[in-house]
Amino acid sequence: MMKPRHLLDRLFILSLWIAALIVITILAAIILYLFSKGSSFISLDFILDRPQGSPLGSAGGVMPAIMGTIWLVLLALLAAGFPALFTAIYLNEYGSQRKSSRIMNILLQSMASVPSIITGLFIYALCVVRLGWGISLLAGSMALALMIFPVLVVSIREALRSVDSQTRLAAAALGVSKTYSLRRIILPQAIPGILAAFLLAMGYAAGATAPIMVTAAAIVAPAPQSLFQPVMALPYHLYILFNEHVSMQQAYATALVLLILLLSINALALYLRSWQERKQAG
Amino acid sequence: MQVLKFKSDKVDTFLGSLFLVTAWASVLLLAALLLFLLLESWPLWSRVGVLSFISGQVWLPLSAVPQIGIAPMLVSTLWVAAGALVLAAPLGLACAAFLAEFAPAPLTAVMRPVLNLLTGIPSVVYGFLGAAVLVRFFEVSFDLPSGESLFAASLVLAIMVLPFIVANSEIALRSVLNDYRHTSLALGVSRPYYVMRILIPAARKGIIASMVLAFGRAAGETMAVLMMAGNTMFMPGSWFNQGEPLPALIALELGSASPGSLHYQALFAAGLVLLVLVILVNILLSSFLLPKGNEVKPF
Repeated sequence: MMKPRHLLDRLFILSLWIAALIVITILAAIILYLFSKGSSFISLDFILDRPQGSPLGSAGGVMPAIMGTIWLVLLALLAAGFPALFTAIYLNEYGSQRKSSRIMNILLQSMASVPSIITGLFIYALCVVRLGWGISLLAGSMALALMIFPVLVVSIREALRSVDSQTRLAAAALGVSKTYSLRRIILPQAIPGILAAFLLAMGYAAGATAPIMVTAAAIVAPAPQSLFQPVMALPYHLYILFNEHVSMQQAYATALVLLILLLSINALALYLRSWQERKQAG
Repeated sequence: MQVLKFKSDKVDTFLGSLFLVTAWASVLLLAALLLFLLLESWPLWSRVGVLSFISGQVWLPLSAVPQIGIAPMLVSTLWVAAGALVLAAPLGLACAAFLAEFAPAPLTAVMRPVLNLLTGIPSVVYGFLGAAVLVRFFEVSFDLPSGESLFAASLVLAIMVLPFIVANSEIALRSVLNDYRHTSLALGVSRPYYVMRILIPAARKGIIASMVLAFGRAAGETMAVLMMAGNTMFMPGSWFNQGEPLPALIALELGSASPGSLHYQALFAAGLVLLVLVILVNILLSSFLLPKGNEVKPF
């Protein structure tokens, strides 16, 4: 006969196992379900074709949406990349002990918590209306840039932080200038982590719908030709396909394309990050 | 020492100030954002007044006698977010405790990257699946005319924030000193007792922080609520009513509001309310809950 206390202990551990199992099951089910529903509608034609049929999108493919998303994301990275890199370097290599850095950290955290629709709202007022860019590729990529900026800073800083601080001290002790040690010692070691940060930000931007919905997206548009025209984008296309009852099949296929795209970007980022960690440890 | 100053000193100073200026300029975009929302909504505040804007029950910005109140939307926002947290918090915390204390190492090695990967699924995919599967399921099995509700939205938001709660709570649990574990095990305390009475209380700040962060994310999330909450503008009476949270309101109406109109100003005012809500939560978080240098990873 087991003591009740031991029985309770066993039950407690069992319930934790169940909780973990539930979490993994839910998340695995989502992915498996999408694959089972969407994979039969995906073909090379679907990826390479324009949306066709009536209502438009009920047949054909998603090529302009893929191109639109790629352009939006690349322009956003271009705009946010250097400021984020500089901010992360400043926070980690120059100002980590200062009081002002603490304020900057709080501001960054607040920035990261700004809802993406608010970023869209801000860019809508500033770029679309005040600057007169209209609903456009450029405005959308600015909204995405503002959204990914804090994410980029936080993960680039992680990458810099994981560089062994002994090398910094050694460089300083040998009288190596700050610039030289940054360029030749710290950045090279942090490169995989910084790449991972950029990839994560790319994935985050490619999946975001709310900010581009109000600043850049069109229901139908050709592949981007100008910075000042609206574009199609994969996540918004998915929303339209479902919400306007265009086609469930096309919606499942689009969702799967988006999911595969984002999961592979994220997997690559996580691999790069763990590779850097292993290299640092070994 | 003047002799020893080389050219590199100038480069150093230049780069140092370049980094400093870029950092501050970028971070101060947040202030610009706040200022802009305030600027665009300014005429409305003086016309309607803060209190009646927040507590007003009717949203008719386009009628001849415009009535502008966001109480139903604000309540919907709080309701979906709090509901998501209620659903996700126990499961997330249990999962984090499992990963930090009980899971066999190979299982942890698989689960952590998988959870990390899942944070990359975009909200529109969650919203789409929720609306296509979950809402349909509610309609069929409970014989409802419409399966959309605040509850359905909360359910999907809960799944979305789960990976974040697990990750941040696990970090909090792992940052508790190992001495506690050694001491309690040496005293013959059982591991469940150790987890419940020592580990979780010791890590409570970080755990609460992860929950608050999840609340903020859920409150600001657009696509999932837009596709699942039902988008009706009545004051929700219960979790199972429909509603239209603030992000959905903005996403739906911004395109049709002509710039400078009362409608336009009202949407910016609604955005400002949402932003202030989320940022207040965040500032509370960083100034009271978190010890120095132990900031939660937002992503």
